[in-house]
Amino acid sequence: MIGLLKSMATTMKHALDGSTFTVEYPETAPEVSPRFRGVHKFSQERCIWCRQCENVCPNDTIQIVQDDQRNGEQYNLHIGQCIYCRLCEEVCPVDAILLTQNFEFTADTKDDFVYNKEQLKNVPWYKGIDPLNSRNPDRNAWVGEGDGEVDYQ
Amino acid sequence: MSLEKPEADEAVVPADDAEDIAALLGENVIGREEHVNAPGFVVRPDAVQDTLSTLKDEAGYDHLSVVTAQEYENRYESIYHLKKYDDPTQEVSVVVPADKENPVSESGAGVFTTADWHEREAYDLVGIDYEGHPDLKRILLPETWQGHPLSMDYDQDQPQVVSLSEHANPLQDDYKDAESDTMFVNIGPHHPATHGVLHLKTTLDGEQVADVESDIGYLHRSEEQMAQNGTYRYQIMPYPDRWDYISAGLLNEYAYARAAEDLADIDVPEYAQVIRTMGAEMCRIAAHMLALATFALDVNGDFTATFMYAINDREQVQNLLEDLTGQRMMFNYFRLGGVVWDLPEPREEFFSKTRDFLDQLPESVEEYHDLLTSNEIFQMRTVDTGILPPEVAKDYGATGPVARGSGVDYDLRRDDPYGYYDELDWDVVTEDGCDNYARLLVRMREVEESAKIIEQCIDLLEDWPDEERTIQANVPRTLRPDDDTEIYRAVEAAKGELGIYMRADGTDKPARFKIRSPCFSNLQTLPEMAQGEYIPDMIAALGSLDIVLGEVDR
Amino acid sequence: MSLAPAQLFPEFVANALGLPGIAGEIVGALIAAFLVGNVMLTFTGVAGPWAKRKITAAFTDRIAVNRIGPFGLLIIPAAAVQLLAKELIIPEGADRPSYDLAPIVLPASALLGFAVIPMGNLGPINVQLADPEVGFALVFAFASIASISLVMAGYASNNKYSLLGGLRAVAQNLAYEIPLIVTAMSVVVFAGTLQTSGIVAAQQEALVTLGGITIPSWYAFVNPFAFLLFLTANMAEIGRNPFDIPEAPTEIVAGYQTEYSSAYFVLFYLGEFLHIFLGGAILTMAFLGGASGPGPESIGFVWFVVKIWAFFLFTQWCRAAMPRFRIDQLIEVGWKGMLVLSFANLVLTAVLVGVTV
Repeated sequence: MIGLLKSMATTMKHALDGSTFTVEYPETAPEVSPRFRGVHKFSQERCIWCRQCENVCPNDTIQIVQDDQRNGEQYNLHIGQCIYCRLCEEVCPVDAILLTQNFEFTADTKDDFVYNKEQLKNVPWYKGIDPLNSRNPDRNAWVGEGDGEVDYQ
Repeated sequence: MSLEKPEADEAVVPADDAEDIAALLGENVIGREEHVNAPGFVVRPDAVQDTLSTLKDEAGYDHLSVVTAQEYENRYESIYHLKKYDDPTQEVSVVVPADKENPVSESGAGVFTTADWHEREAYDLVGIDYEGHPDLKRILLPETWQGHPLSMDYDQDQPQVVSLSEHANPLQDDYKDAESDTMFVNIGPHHPATHGVLHLKTTLDGEQVADVESDIGYLHRSEEQMAQNGTYRYQIMPYPDRWDYISAGLLNEYAYARAAEDLADIDVPEYAQVIRTMGAEMCRIAAHMLALATFALDVNGDFTATFMYAINDREQVQNLLEDLTGQRMMFNYFRLGGVVWDLPEPREEFFSKTRDFLDQLPESVEEYHDLLTSNEIFQMRTVDTGILPPEVAKDYGATGPVARGSGVDYDLRRDDPYGYYDELDWDVVTEDGCDNYARLLVRMREVEESAKIIEQCIDLLEDWPDEERTIQANVPRTLRPDDDTEIYRAVEAAKGELGIYMRADGTDKPARFKIRSPCFSNLQTLPEMAQGEYIPDMIAALGSLDIVLGEVDR
Repeated sequence: MSLAPAQLFPEFVANALGLPGIAGEIVGALIAAFLVGNVMLTFTGVAGPWAKRKITAAFTDRIAVNRIGPFGLLIIPAAAVQLLAKELIIPEGADRPSYDLAPIVLPASALLGFAVIPMGNLGPINVQLADPEVGFALVFAFASIASISLVMAGYASNNKYSLLGGLRAVAQNLAYEIPLIVTAMSVVVFAGTLQTSGIVAAQQEALVTLGGITIPSWYAFVNPFAFLLFLTANMAEIGRNPFDIPEAPTEIVAGYQTEYSSAYFVLFYLGEFLHIFLGGAILTMAFLGGASGPGPESIGFVWFVVKIWAFFLFTQWCRAAMPRFRIDQLIEVGWKGMLVLSFANLVLTAVLVGVTV
């Protein structure tokens, strides 16, 4: 009986203290960590078309088309298939591909999630957070050479 | 102090020499192999049962972790990874080759009941036929599947047609026996209490469970094959998050990281190990909170407040993990040789946030005790229901809170130390109740132990000198472990022993990648707990097993 | 009792319409019943889609419905439209017409029960539809029709979960109806009448006066033991936590209502909530002094409403806090515990009344 009353008292305590943890999205945009990984943003100006991101991608989300001079023509990324592992950003030597904090994306069909380089360029920052700045303190950690066998995939 | 094993160690056969075992097994051994983790003995395919029972009874190898099956160019092979519950660092691999044309080997299910499901999986995915198996049929794939996906000649473009005649009416079992007064009920695959897509073929005698058989595989994604198609260095790491997907991601990543680092001989900087340990324990808290929440849901009903309170506490941990890793569930935070990011800047803020969480945790746990464990009705429901005696738990290869709730003192963090665990002060939690209540209690107490670990890690990290904060070792961009090295390594994940077997073939991708899922083995114990009990007790027992179908089915 | 006693609701309607005799009785009764029934249905309409969610949310630190209309109140019409617009799926092999009748019997039985409940005065009206001499027995008779509905639903659905739920409902109602009624008998022994208005009237005298506050002789205060017994049995009777075994969503999906959708589901839902309110009404009448409360007698109805909503709140509170029994434990508690206790209570009451009177 004591235990029952304790349970009831505990729930009533929660009811009476009036605090809630509901986030009233979309009125209040949730806080996300600066490290949060959302939709990609691509910068053709920076890209050197080294194709490392395409190689490292675990599930073939990135597709790059080059002409016979190895100039980049297309950069397609299926944001519906992407598993947001951030490996592409990690291997990119020139920060051409970044994962923004933006998690808000919709489409009518799955095919609409295949973003080309223009669409990728136009992906907005979330709350104006530029991941390049926000992750700055971390960047040196993974840019750097391993000793021994180094190859750029 | 706390990490020391309680006595009883002496009684068991002391650390066996490989030669002793070879002598013990005698002529069953037809060859020797050396795996990174253990000596391997190649035995005759018709002497499996004999070998296993000798090892179990005379050498004390009472824990069959997993059965790995694979196909080589010239043969099939099953590996029985044996350990001791008392000292899991003592390992033996029993390697059983089978003929390429006609892969048959003797079943080990008569010695270890857990081999039942593991061999069914091996048959299903690789195609080895186990002679003397009690019920050798497909387990993950549908009965009508053509071919064995992990075998070499498997044609993955082959259409899989499920004909109507073979797609039997699920109701026909009702009429199996006109005289019988039992009733057949399909619980799941869509049911409020199956925690995903689990199908329990249940035979009821009134309200009591006369028989229950789990039908799994609804969430099968062939994660093993996915891993075999990824490079060691980068491409495998994102996937472990998706096995036990309820925020226990870092624990899963730990399993892969540990196995691959031992395989490729990579040292992890101490600083990174502390961060890993801290992150892993945060994940354990998150996973146990969800286990508690859903267990309350199963026992209390679907409007229980406990669920939301526990989810809210889990939310706090997830916020911390998001700050640390950048993601709430699919972390991809570990890298071979370390972690990808140092603690988030400003560090003080992260430390104080973590401390705040740890400070309010005892209060929350107290609240759960008020809501659940001290509640008389809850005690009526959970004490002495879903009984799993320790011998049965061992026989089924149960690990984690399920085993510890049955008094089996087995925790890889202490018994087979990795990471930074052996430097820290914490206790392994066991309960002797063997019932649903004990399993819940183990989880609740483990949350407190995890909090202790995190607190010590935070203290360490806070005082770590600036210049020694190395988060990654120098690891080549491409890893090619030596040809034909094999390893089985396990860590203590939220649900128990999560092990990875890998065989390297000299390329940058594993030739065989096998996941030993704790939920898979734990789920196998359900009939033992449920038979003869009432339906609500079976549901409670299922909840107390805390399975994640993503990990069961892989 | 001051001034002229207020008129029963049907009489009041008949007089207001100026209809004498039989015609007046019939028309007055119909109109009054229509009004009372609709008030109760409105309560359930508010309780189901809105109040229940808000209350549960308060217990679980959430906000719940807040998007449509002020405080999310417009969710009520939205939910109604949504539920009624859904396809009515009738499973193959359903046993009709009992499959169709069950969802009607459940709310009807609860509404019938309200016929004899004295709901207090509202201005010049005594909100009570009928006041027969055996009203107290009638209300239990009406309320227990519900189990028939549940069995019908469970059996007719051609679904094993439904069948289990239906059987559980019967077992549970059998086990708890007897303690419920035996405990109610102790109230009758106290009041010396089966007439519902008499039972309420008997609770109006002051029990004790402590520091200027008069505590009325509600039977909850006179015999708290009986009150607790009745409360527990009542919770089981209406199938709320910790006794929500006939539905037990995590075990048998939704019990007897697994196969019901659309309008039928709404009827079941209404029926269940009506039964909660009826349970509250019976409890109020038998133990909480009916419609009495501070203030003039003419606002008694308000107190009645407050009390039945308080009971509703209590059921939701239990729902948030209580684990559910297992069916065999429930039966055990019912037959071995509650039944014995309720008889003990009856004997105790009889001795008490015999000594004092």
